[in-house]
Formats: sequence, structure tokens, C-alpha cells
Amino acid sequence: MSLAHINIFLAFTVSLVGLLMYRSHLMSSLLCLEGMMLSLFVMATMVVLNTHFTLASMMPIILLVFAACERALGLSLLVMVSNTYGVDHVQNLNLLQC
Amino acid sequence: MNMFSSLMLASLSVLTLPIMSSILNTHKNSTYPHHVKNIISYAFITSLIPTMMFIHSGQETIISNWHWMTIQTLKLSLSFKLDYFSMIFVPVALFVTWSIMEFSLWYMHSDPYITRFFKYLLTFLITMMILVTANNLFQLFIGWEGVGIMSFLLIGWWYGRTDANTAALQAILYNRIGDIGFIMAMAWFLFNANTWDLQQIFMLDPNLTNLPLLGLLLAATGKSAQFGLHPWLPSAMEGPTPVSALLHSSTMVVAGVFLLIRFHPLMENNKTIQSLTLCLGAITTLFTAICALTQNDIKKIIAFSTSSQLGLMIVTIGINQPYLAFLHICTHAFFKAMLFMCSGSIIHSLNDEQDIRKMGGLFNAMPFTTTSLIIGSLALTGMPFLTGFYSKDLIIETANTSYTNAWALLMTLIATSLTAVYSTRIIFFALLGQPRFLPLTTINENNPFLINSIKRLLIGSIFAGFFISNNIYPTTIPEMTMPIYMKLTALTVTILGFTLALELSLITQNLKLEHPTNMFKFSNLLGYYPTIMHRLPPLASLSMGQKSASLLLDSIWLENILPKSISQFQMKTSILISTQKGQIKLYFLSFLITLTLSMLLFNLHE
Repeated sequence: MSLAHINIFLAFTVSLVGLLMYRSHLMSSLLCLEGMMLSLFVMATMVVLNTHFTLASMMPIILLVFAACERALGLSLLVMVSNTYGVDHVQNLNLLQC
Repeated sequence: MNMFSSLMLASLSVLTLPIMSSILNTHKNSTYPHHVKNIISYAFITSLIPTMMFIHSGQETIISNWHWMTIQTLKLSLSFKLDYFSMIFVPVALFVTWSIMEFSLWYMHSDPYITRFFKYLLTFLITMMILVTANNLFQLFIGWEGVGIMSFLLIGWWYGRTDANTAALQAILYNRIGDIGFIMAMAWFLFNANTWDLQQIFMLDPNLTNLPLLGLLLAATGKSAQFGLHPWLPSAMEGPTPVSALLHSSTMVVAGVFLLIRFHPLMENNKTIQSLTLCLGAITTLFTAICALTQNDIKKIIAFSTSSQLGLMIVTIGINQPYLAFLHICTHAFFKAMLFMCSGSIIHSLNDEQDIRKMGGLFNAMPFTTTSLIIGSLALTGMPFLTGFYSKDLIIETANTSYTNAWALLMTLIATSLTAVYSTRIIFFALLGQPRFLPLTTINENNPFLINSIKRLLIGSIFAGFFISNNIYPTTIPEMTMPIYMKLTALTVTILGFTLALELSLITQNLKLEHPTNMFKFSNLLGYYPTIMHRLPPLASLSMGQKSASLLLDSIWLENILPKSISQFQMKTSILISTQKGQIKLYFLSFLITLTLSMLLFNLHE
């Protein structure tokens, strides 16, 4: 694998770790989700352009569209939590606790 | 062409004149009650003429005036049946009502609504006349319901008193239960004989008449206060004394017996119903006579006496002697109304005191009332050759010599002796001895209204039995030959009752008051019947209704079974099996570790 690929892959991994390990704000995990999305997009575009796989050049665009939907969902969830509690600390989401 | 039907219709329609005069507002006069009394006396005299024509020639008439409607095959019309029963009952009822109206001119003198009272009494009389002259069941039902309604209005005359309202409602409810039987009989006749006319029913002579006759028996039980539906009659004494005298002794309560008498062609052929009637009447007469023994209210004792005599009439029907029962109705009206009027005179004179324990010594203070009370009691118990003798003695003789239920006969005889016992009790407590009322008395029986009305009924009580018995045509042949002990049975038990009661009253007069025994309590509380039946069945049915409708259907089936149970189940099981504690960061961390581990495993595996 070339160095550029490893670079982008590393960016993806760093965002993944940031998604799964955060302190208290839900917003930070959503940001990392965006970072993951961005690195995936760049990786896909690079591979498609390098191998001249023209037929698959739709894929990054579609990926972007779906990412937009998911962004909207994630933000609305955040807004709901923020409406109830004022802040989006994750330790507030304990209603299922018994 | 004689004037039979015209005169009878005239006498009946003249009764409706004072009711219609309320259009002209003459009913606001203070002389309206006098008008009513006069009109009833005219109606009485007018009705005597057709009755005498009937006695002379035996001519029975049916007047069918007005065809009201035809419902498919049923023709309903206004028709009057003027036969033996109605022709003799109408003058008797009018005579008794005339005397009672005159009596209420004295009794209700100070009542501000006396005109309304007279109007109610007159409406009652009109509906009673409709009842006895009805030729089809529909008209009879109109009269039947009419007397029930007027009874309600008149019992609750002093409507400010709770007991009066309760008693009026009680009367309506018990009568209603009887009406169920009446309507069942009407429906059966509609389906099986296609008519409500009495002539057609008797002509068709249906075979299995158990059901309609049971319905009519139930109706008679309700209206004539037989055992099972009897508590309304003593409670009805909450009404003024003229109401008790008219409705609940002479006229309304005999409507049930009259109905059974009307249907005697059907009852002749049905032995089952006859036995039922006999047993019902016997139970009633004994039970109410027992209850009358320890009552302390003079009107209640006379009410129970009425109930007992009604039971005797039902017993007479049960031994297949409708004409004797009818004779007893007519003679009973005289002396019972007079007994009520005497008690009204006593009550008013002692300033509305109704408890016999607080009366006494009226023998010298009110001689006329005393005389009529004693004569009335003697007539009631069947003293030879007074009025009651001609009907009551014949009944006992016929019952003794007929093939009937011995137990019912025994109970009737015991009740006859108890009649003498409680009559003696009334006389002893109310009239004899030293006065037990307050010293400041208002004893005054010098009013001509009072004296004339009681005098009229007094002459009736003495002579009416003889008069009626000698003038009616022979109907059923009374038993002529019987052993002497049977002939004297009624007399013997009555004298036994008299002497026993007198002895007991004199002996126990000065004894120490003991605690009431169980038998005394049974008799005084009316056999516990009202106490049980007015509380237990309503409680049972209402609580069952609450449990089945509200608890079972609404709460359980609609609320609990699906919605609430699902929600509770879900909550419980989710608590049980849920391991989530909302620790999102932990979950994400475990996800990352798993991912890393699996990557390492898959990549470094050789």
C-alpha cells in the first residue's frame, strides 16, 4: 500500500477511536463521525481516480448524500437531548436505568 | 226498550261533571266539596234504579259505544259490561263513597287544599268505576292503573312527611310487580285468543290456562296485598283517614279480587290455580292476622284486618265460590269503611293521636263512635245476623264442607279466631278502662257530617247483608246440610277468640312489663318481612350490578386485560432482562476494543 493510502487510513482510524472514546459531549462523537465520513470520501475518490474506474465514480457522491442524511439525524437527536437537559452530556442519557 | 243502559251510563257520567268543571273554574269555590258529595249521592240514587231493574229481571247488558282502533285483527272499543258483579258493586261503592265524602268534609275541614283532595277522591272513584264495568282487558287495565296512580297521589297527600312519600312509592312499586302479571295475561290472551274481550275469551275456553291465570293471580297479589307483596298496605296508612277508608278498605284493594272473580269461568276448570289461590289466601289471612295482634297504631291494626279479610276472599275464590267472594267484598266495604271512619273520629278527637296505648276511656266520652266501633267489630268478626255473618259464615261453612286442602282450612279458621282477638284488642285499648290521653282534650263528635256519615254506614253494617242476600238471585247453591259442629265452627272460634283476648287483656293489665319474647317481636315487626325484603334484595342486585357491570366489564375487561397488563408486563420484563444502564461511553469503548482485538487476530493469524 502506498503512503497516501496509509495516511488516509490512519485519519479514518483516528476518527474512529475519537468516535468511540470521548468524555462527555455527544457533539464530539458526531464530529468524529464526520471526520470518518470525510476520510472515507477522500480514500474512495483517490482509489477511483488512480485506477481510472470511471464507472464507480458515482460512489463518493452518493456516499456524500447519505452522509448528509445521517448528519441531519444525528444533529436532531442532539437537539432533542439538548432540549431536555440544556447540555448534551452523555451521562444524562440514563432513563433506561433501573 | 227500557232505560237500563241510559240510566247506568247517566249515573257513571254524572260523576265526571265536577272534574270537567275545573275548566270553568268553579272548583275554586269553597262549596266545591259539597257539590262533589251531592253529585255522588245523586249518582248513587240514579244507579239504584238499574240495579233494581237488574234484580227484578236478571237482565245483563253490554254497552259497546265507540270503536277506538283495530290493530290488525284486534278490535279495541269502549265497552261496559253491566252484569251481576258490576250492577251490585256500583251502588255499594257509591254509597260507601258518599259517606266517606261527607266524613272528609269534617275530617279535612282545616286543610287548605280540600278541593284538590275531593277532586282526587272523585278521580279515584271514576277509575274504580271504569275498572268494574270494563268489558275488555284494556279498559280494565286503564282503570287498574288509574286507581294505582290515585292511590299514590292520595297516600302522599301530606308530602312533607318522608314516611308518606316512602309509603306512596312502596305502594306504586308493589303494584307494579303485580302489573307484570297482568300484562303477561293480556299478552297471552292476545296471542292465544286474539282478543281482549271477556266474552270471546270465555267462549273460546282455552285449554292450558295456567300461564294467564298465574299472571292474573300475581296481579291480584300485588293489588290486593297478598302475602309476598303485602307490605304496602300497612304503610299506606300514612295517608289521611278518608283515603284509608275508601281506597285501602273498600274499593281499591278489592280490585285484585274482582279481577279473579271476573275470570271465574276460566278458573273453574283449572285445579292447579285454584289450589295456589287457596294456599296463598290462607297464608295471607293467617300471617296478617298474626301481625295485627301486636300493632300499636289503630289504623295499622285495621289495615291488617283488611289484608286478612282480603286473604279470606282469595280463599273463597280458591274453593271455587266466586259469588260468595263477591258478596264478601260488598259487605266488607260497609263495616270496614265504618271502622276506619270511627278510628278517624277518635284520632281527630284526641288531637291526632294514633297509638292505642295512649287512648282509653272513650266509652263514656264518645258514645256514638263507641257504638259504631263495637258494631263494626262485631260485624267484622261475623256475629250472627249482622252484615258480616251473611258472607263470612257462608264462606267458612262452604270451606268446611268442601273437598279442599285441610291445612289451608285450618289456617283460615285460626285467622278467624284471631280476627276476634285483635278486634277485642282495639275495643279494650281504645274504649275501655281509664283515659290514658292528655287531660286537655278536644273530644267533640257533635258534627252533623260525622254523625250522618257514620250513621248511614252503621245502618248499612247492620242491615246490608240481609238486604243484599235476600235480593240477589241464587248463584251457587250453598251447602244446606252439615253436622252441627261444622255449622257452628265459625261462631265457636270467634267466641273463643273474644273470650281469650278479653281474659288476657284483663289479666295482664297490671303485670310488670316483660322484655318482648321472640314471638312478640315476630308479630310486631310484621314477621320481619319488610325488614328483610326492603334491604336484602336491593343490596344484592345493586352490588351484583356493580360487580358485574362496573367492576367486571369496565375495569377488568376493558381496562386491565389488554392495555394495563401489557404495559405492566413490558415494564417488569424489561427491568428483568435489561442489562443496559445507559452507559454509552462504556459501550463505545467495548466496541473499540473488540474491533482492535479482532483486527489483530485476523491479521496476525498465520
